[in-house]
Amino acid sequence: MNTKKIKIFLVDDDAVYLKSLEIEFLQHADFSIKTFATGEHCLSAISQNPDIIILDYLLDGIDKSAMNGIETLDKIKAYNHDIPVVMLSAQDKIDVAIDCMHHKALDYVVKSETAFIRLQKIITTIFRYKKMEKELNWYMGKM
Amino acid sequence: MALIKESDDLIIARKALVFQKAETEKLAAELRIANYARSLIEASLDPLVTISTKGKITDMNEAFVNSTGMTRKKLIGTHFFDYFTEPQKAREVYQEVFAQGSVADSPLTLRHKKGKLTDVLFNGSVYKDDKANVLGVVVVARDITDQKCNATKLNEAIVFAELATGIAEEAKRKAESATGIAEDAVKAKQQFLSNMSHEIRTPMNAIIGFTKVMLKTDLSAKQKEYLTAIKMSGDALIVLINDILDLAKVDAGKMIFEEIPFKMALSLSAMLHLFETKIREKNIVLVKEYDKKIPEVLVGDPVRLHQIILNLVSNAVKFTAEGTITVSVRLLNEDEKKATIEFAVKDTGIGIPENKTGDIFKNFQQASSGTSRLYGGTGLGLAIVKQLVESQGGNIHVTSKLDKGSTFSFTLSFQKTNAKAEMEAEIAELDAEIKDMKVLVVEDIALNQLLMKTLLDDFGFECDIAANGKIAVEKIHSKSYDIILMDLQMPEMNGFEATDYIRRIMHSEIPIIALTADVTTVDLEKCKVVGMNDYIAKPVDERLLYSKIIGLVKKPFPANAIAIEENTHNESKKLKCTDLDYLIHRTKSNPTLMMEMIALYLEQTPPLIKAMNKSFQSKDWNSLYSAVHKMIPSFAIMGISIDFENMAKKVQEYASTQKQGDGIHDLVQQLGNICTQACCELEEEFKRIKSANP
Repeated sequence: MNTKKIKIFLVDDDAVYLKSLEIEFLQHADFSIKTFATGEHCLSAISQNPDIIILDYLLDGIDKSAMNGIETLDKIKAYNHDIPVVMLSAQDKIDVAIDCMHHKALDYVVKSETAFIRLQKIITTIFRYKKMEKELNWYMGKM
Repeated sequence: MALIKESDDLIIARKALVFQKAETEKLAAELRIANYARSLIEASLDPLVTISTKGKITDMNEAFVNSTGMTRKKLIGTHFFDYFTEPQKAREVYQEVFAQGSVADSPLTLRHKKGKLTDVLFNGSVYKDDKANVLGVVVVARDITDQKCNATKLNEAIVFAELATGIAEEAKRKAESATGIAEDAVKAKQQFLSNMSHEIRTPMNAIIGFTKVMLKTDLSAKQKEYLTAIKMSGDALIVLINDILDLAKVDAGKMIFEEIPFKMALSLSAMLHLFETKIREKNIVLVKEYDKKIPEVLVGDPVRLHQIILNLVSNAVKFTAEGTITVSVRLLNEDEKKATIEFAVKDTGIGIPENKTGDIFKNFQQASSGTSRLYGGTGLGLAIVKQLVESQGGNIHVTSKLDKGSTFSFTLSFQKTNAKAEMEAEIAELDAEIKDMKVLVVEDIALNQLLMKTLLDDFGFECDIAANGKIAVEKIHSKSYDIILMDLQMPEMNGFEATDYIRRIMHSEIPIIALTADVTTVDLEKCKVVGMNDYIAKPVDERLLYSKIIGLVKKPFPANAIAIEENTHNESKKLKCTDLDYLIHRTKSNPTLMMEMIALYLEQTPPLIKAMNKSFQSKDWNSLYSAVHKMIPSFAIMGISIDFENMAKKVQEYASTQKQGDGIHDLVQQLGNICTQACCELEEEFKRIKSANP
């Protein structure tokens, strides 16, 4: 567990933003990062079982035929309900956030200066939670 | 014969006797061993019991008696499994012993007749006679009540630990939210201070300015005295406001220290001149000790150094009634790169009680509450000094003796340099040569207009007033000026917009000085960006204003302006719209990563511009929305001004309400232009980085 790198999928059709996120992630911790420009690409690699997926909300902005963020989210959750998915969006709108939550996204982050810090915190929380869950299970087994 | 026989019998009898005796001794010895073994068995705390092949108890030790609460008599001959909570299981266990010859650590529970239960681990093995016939089973039942108890306690401890972890997590969350609240509070405080200081400065500007003007008119002695009092109070108030603002800035970590070459000795003596009057008035002596070994030119922030020493010396002057104030500057050590200098201000004043020397550096603290009544002051000075020294990596000490005096000393490191010190804005004396200077003052508040006009008239300059940027632009068209003094906040067209217009549309390089009451770094940054040459804080210091005007007009093309002009030739001075700071920071100036980012931007952006324009023309609002949406994140990454981001957001809003608003055409066009310009600039940057990192 400790020797295995945390595997993160980043999905965004904004290549510049995608790259900047990737750079941030690679500089801050020893992650294994895979980037995808579309939801379809991400799903085709889903069997690699990423630890976390960070998914853009508006994936069909330019290419109208592309799968949008929510559809991708649904498909990920259908494949494995336990993969935590954090939604990213440029718009700070309550209905977007609620929409994401309804589709079982773990969290929703607005693309802003603080986005990366938010993501970092969320990832830390996910792993802390997972660890606690594991410990709890272990203790339950003992008792 | 008979005798012999008799003696033979006797011998036999004796032998028998000896044998008997030996037997008795042997028996006694065996008995001793048996007793010994018995007492060992009885002493055991683990219940021991022997069982016949039929499962009846044949013998037991004291511990077993205690565990069951029955007498030995009652126990013997009873079924052994009757004394367990699960007789069936007990029977199985002892049957297992017979079947296998032994059993180990089988958990069972003994029942006392009064109901007390004893958890045991059951160990048993068969015992046989000398012909290997099984006679029964010896059972050792190990009492594990304590063990069980410990296990339970351990489990409880684990549960508690988990609960505690939960509580700790909760506490942490609370602490985090409290930190957030505290941070917000600090921000609010700062905002408040900065707003207040701005609001106070503006009217103070007029008060001090007019007082100064009035002092130059013919006055009676009384009037002059009163006006001087007003001016001094005004000056003191401004100092206080600046102090508060400084403290707030340091608190927020926003205090920025400049690194410019300056001449330490000159700078210090110029500052100490300020105290001459005061010192003469109080009839004390000011001694200056300056270490000649200190390099002439050092790199640092002379303004902040002034502020530190000024605060310390004015304290010394304030609290010293007679004697000497010594300002000494000593070179502590120096290497190739930097010099560490110790500054000390020593006075023969009232001193500080020993137990207060730590407190005086705190905000709003003086050595005693009586101090402020006697000597005045807010107790902010030393707090600022400490903050200023420490945030430059130095430290400050005080030694003091009550009624004898105090010594404040601090050390700071300065970088050494070969560069020449920039000429400090030396206060230029009124120069007879420059007389017919034409100045345009752009200012909306009538009071300030009048004040500026009076000041400029005093300098002998010709002065025109424009109430806002729009009028200013019209005036510049019809008449030529040497310099413009530009207020920032104005109706119609503000200072930034006006300057932008003058630089970009009119292609004029006329010197522009910003007049601002709010000297935050943000505003200064903005002044620079739109192309202003300098700024001056309100309330305007007339000497500073004069020297800045002269400085700019004498060399109408400052070095950087010339450089830009050479680059762009006859093109207008084009401001760069991108700024790679963010990228450099993010990539830790890794050229490969930067090039990758820029390449992606260059690849992605032109299609977006095209999509934006196309969808705007065909009124395809959804496409317009998403095209602009995609542009937004890259603005911040490439350091394009937030103004454009807001512009993009406005277009988005229009697009989502699906109607053609006023000015959306303009916005789309501007966005297109800025992105195209950004692409050009970034292409240049890309080439530059590439050639620098082959």
